Amino acid sequence: MKLSIAFDRLRWEEKALRDAAESAGMEASLVDVKGLVFQIPKKPAEFGNLVLQRCISHYRSLLLSQTLEGAGLHVINRHSVAEVCSNKLSTTIALARAGVPTPRTYLALTSEAVESAAAELGFPLVMKPFTGSWGRMVTIVRDKETLGSLIEYKEELANPQEHMYYVQEFVKRPPRDIRAIVAGETLVACVHRYAPEGEWRTNVARGGTSKAFKPDEELKEIVLKAAKAVGGGILGVDAMESSSGYLVHEVNNTVEFKGAQSAVRTDIPAKIIQYVKESAKR
Amino acid sequence: MVPKDAIVGEIVSCKDCSSEYEVAEISGATVLLKPAEQVGEDWGE
Repeated sequence: MKLSIAFDRLRWEEKALRDAAESAGMEASLVDVKGLVFQIPKKPAEFGNLVLQRCISHYRSLLLSQTLEGAGLHVINRHSVAEVCSNKLSTTIALARAGVPTPRTYLALTSEAVESAAAELGFPLVMKPFTGSWGRMVTIVRDKETLGSLIEYKEELANPQEHMYYVQEFVKRPPRDIRAIVAGETLVACVHRYAPEGEWRTNVARGGTSKAFKPDEELKEIVLKAAKAVGGGILGVDAMESSSGYLVHEVNNTVEFKGAQSAVRTDIPAKIIQYVKESAKR
Repeated sequence: MVPKDAIVGEIVSCKDCSSEYEVAEISGATVLLKPAEQVGEDWGE
């Protein structure tokens, strides 16, 4: 079984996954996709039949998984999963429809409408871009004046998507959130992520730190349900502890796990590869 | 600044200025570097 690990920026994670695959008896190679050309719908010679998609660029990731699936390859995660996870609105819809608790969210298609959404939510609220990661452009809007300034700024931007708004309730939580790494139906690792000094976002890419903890049964159930809701695979499920219980606010398609690995004893790459190996047999 | 076990595609940093480079080619003891891609707006998880 030949596994190709597709990347556009080689990080510790990709090398660890290759090493884990080789330890599990798989033939594994790292494939830098940046210089490749794909003749549609031919199977590219650089890839085996099984591909673990690990591109850091969201658009490369989406187009690559679509192209490789179109060529008949088995891609993990599936393109449909990448699509759902790469758009916060799609993720929220998938979670809500599956009955996964998630923060109260509104879509507003104009600047006038977002003011009505804000009136429903109350302040503070959280404004997020439809696509994006590492907490980029995720903003706490503390009052009406700040909202007005943000709208004014966004309306000047050329991208029409900036003139539509995804706003969410601000969830009162401890100064941490939860990152759960899921592979198929297994909860591989669970860590609390703490925001660095002077920051409310907990993303490790922003200097957040990870600390292991043992999840309770309720959290396990919610996290696995969230992973299933977006289509399943190897995922990073982010949740918060609210006064009314756990809320899942994001599911990540190309999960980074260096931070989590530094906090847990579980061999995360080995568990991921175990899932890859099993899913290839199906 | 280039680890002994570096492979093509790997990102290495200059210890003085922190600039990032990508290993473009390894030929014996010679390692060819090129400037690494800058963080893109669509980068992430």
